[in-house]
Amino acid sequence: MKISRQLKTDIVGYTFIAPNLIGFLIFTLFPVAFSVVISFTDWDYTQGFNSMTFNWGNNFVEMWKDEWFVASLINTFYFSFAVVPATVFIALVLAVVIDKYVIGKTPVRLAMFMPYISNIVALSIVWVMMYSPYGPITQLVQSLGVENPPKWLGDFNWAMPAIIVMSIWAGVGYCIMIYTSAIQSLPTEQYEAAEIDGASEVQKFFKITIPMLSPTTFFLVITTFIASFQVFGQIMIMTRGGPGTSTSVLVHYVYTTAFSFYRMGYAAAISWILFIVLFIITIIQWQGQKKWVSYT
Amino acid sequence: MKAKRLGLLVLSALLTVMVFAGCSKNNSPGITAPSEASQDTDTEKSESKQSIKLKMWGAVPPEAGPQAVMDNFNKAFADQGISIEYERYVNDDQGNMKLETNLLAGNDIDIYVSYTLDGLKKRASGKMALDLTPYLEQDKIDLADSFGGAMATSYNVDGKSYAIPTKFDQFGIVLNKDMFDAAGIPIPTEWTMDEFREIAKKLTHGEGQEKVYGMFFNTQQDIFCSLNYFSVQVLGGDVFYKQGGKETNFTDPAIVKSTRTVADMMNVDKSAPTHVDSVTQKLTQEGMFLSGKSAMTIGPWMIRSIKDKVNYPHSFVTAFAPYPTPEKKSDMFTQGGLGDLVSINPKSKNIDAAWTFLKWYATEGMLPLSQGGRVPAYKQFDKDSILQAFISGAEDILDAQTTKAVLIDPKTNYAVPSISNKLPEIRKVLGEELEKIYLENKTTENGLADAKKRADELLK
Repeated sequence: MKISRQLKTDIVGYTFIAPNLIGFLIFTLFPVAFSVVISFTDWDYTQGFNSMTFNWGNNFVEMWKDEWFVASLINTFYFSFAVVPATVFIALVLAVVIDKYVIGKTPVRLAMFMPYISNIVALSIVWVMMYSPYGPITQLVQSLGVENPPKWLGDFNWAMPAIIVMSIWAGVGYCIMIYTSAIQSLPTEQYEAAEIDGASEVQKFFKITIPMLSPTTFFLVITTFIASFQVFGQIMIMTRGGPGTSTSVLVHYVYTTAFSFYRMGYAAAISWILFIVLFIITIIQWQGQKKWVSYT
Repeated sequence: MKAKRLGLLVLSALLTVMVFAGCSKNNSPGITAPSEASQDTDTEKSESKQSIKLKMWGAVPPEAGPQAVMDNFNKAFADQGISIEYERYVNDDQGNMKLETNLLAGNDIDIYVSYTLDGLKKRASGKMALDLTPYLEQDKIDLADSFGGAMATSYNVDGKSYAIPTKFDQFGIVLNKDMFDAAGIPIPTEWTMDEFREIAKKLTHGEGQEKVYGMFFNTQQDIFCSLNYFSVQVLGGDVFYKQGGKETNFTDPAIVKSTRTVADMMNVDKSAPTHVDSVTQKLTQEGMFLSGKSAMTIGPWMIRSIKDKVNYPHSFVTAFAPYPTPEKKSDMFTQGGLGDLVSINPKSKNIDAAWTFLKWYATEGMLPLSQGGRVPAYKQFDKDSILQAFISGAEDILDAQTTKAVLIDPKTNYAVPSISNKLPEIRKVLGEELEKIYLENKTTENGLADAKKRADELLK
């Protein structure tokens, strides 16, 4: 028997990637495919496979009448559209400021980076204390002359902003890190030319720095959007979606339906909606980048 | 060249096989067992007869009684060759999921404890619990007769016993006797919500961080107290439902009355920490009651902490009172029930040995658990020796008389839940509306009416 040379090369190649590939097939591809199947069923997974009944598209229709789902979807948009622009913009300004005006840049950057590498559970617990009625934030607001400071995590209107502020704080360090490395690799010619023309610092920032950093900004917007749509840790620890539904977000609701209500099919359907929404947003961003991202 | 390639191929294939073989070896010892066993079948057999190792899963920390139970059993049954080991799981969503996954996956667990009827039903219908009815018949054990009356059989699922309810729960208000004495208030043996509210007001004093509250409701961890502990005495075990589960009962006068009392005590009288305080500061019964910041609190399930003078240093005497009632009626229900539902895993290899253990545990073995505050349900246990175990090590800070009267002595007419239609969803609705009531976003009447409307929608 003669095995062709090409086939042999192929076998060697596949053998090398086999351990990873098999792992990927079993632990990623199969669950993804399986979740499509169960999203069309009613399934209480504690009752075994026998209890799985197909209801076809019913999950996807029913969810729009489910006030918890709708509220969670709206809250997720609220959260992401507040967190992403704020995080990226604050990070950009801070990165430039640190690069230009701060002595001892490394410790400052490191300090900014600390929240990103710390455990979200620990961060959340610290922030619960910060927001408590006897915590520093409430005290600060009181000392500024506000007589009835918001109850923060115990308040229907303030719980989400409180979590948003905490999430911006936790995410900004990572963006600063990426921006810093991008700033350091910027060419200096444009700045020199601008200086000769008598441009101010603000003009340089808006006319040179921002456009030249646009590929980095684009990367950060896409990745932080995806991450913020999947927010879970801080919600779970700080409010569990409450008060009422004011901080319930999609991933938390998926968790609730799957592990409190035992409705696996419905939870899978919501996960797919989450994926589709994210996918659409990412496509829009890819299309939109042509207008404002310059790779020169 | 060619030889080199071939060598590479063989090497990589070998590596792959080794990686996977390495994995499978750990996971399935069964594959290697037969070949070893076939070598000396006789000794294997006689040995396995002598050493059956059982495994029990429960949520009580081992040092609070279970380890002592295991040690007693291993000593008593050493000659029969049965031994048992205990493993703790945490009784929350994740912990229960871990238990169920393990039960579905294999036979590592022989005996386990469920803590809610809901959980047991799920496990019974999911083939995670063995039907104990034939074993009970064979050993002539009548659950109703020996374990808390008619209540015991209410834990049956579809008429079959999938668990023995081993613990007897009676709850009541936990109170600081020293504060009551100082205020000259006798410990109540029966009281209405209004009397309760007045007493809480009298016991409240101080300001700011120094404030001592009359009551702490612990709404952060359990927001349903007005129904589960107060209204249940008037409405019975299915306090959430009426018409056999087709409709919720949230606008019942008893529920309105008790919910309004809780809300008013928090927001009007300020004799209890508000729900906001509870949530934003993550207040606990231990943190409030045992540090002397509240004179009363909602339930005795922190008895382990009350007895723990090391982690919760305190010197006042703790006593107990029955729950206040929203209205007076001749045939009130007692807030109480059975718990610690012990089941056998149908996939266990040693079902007979597991039954031997379970029978022993339910009828004599579990006494050491009293030390951790669990009252055995088996009626043959001597009430005074339960009391002794219950307060042992804390005789100076637990009031023996009210402990026995409220927590240990059996009563009649228990509130027994039987309906669990859409319960997780209904609890979520009710929890949200109660939150709105306690945060003063809605009046009690409106909030409960909305809860009923929304929950009834789910029941349709």
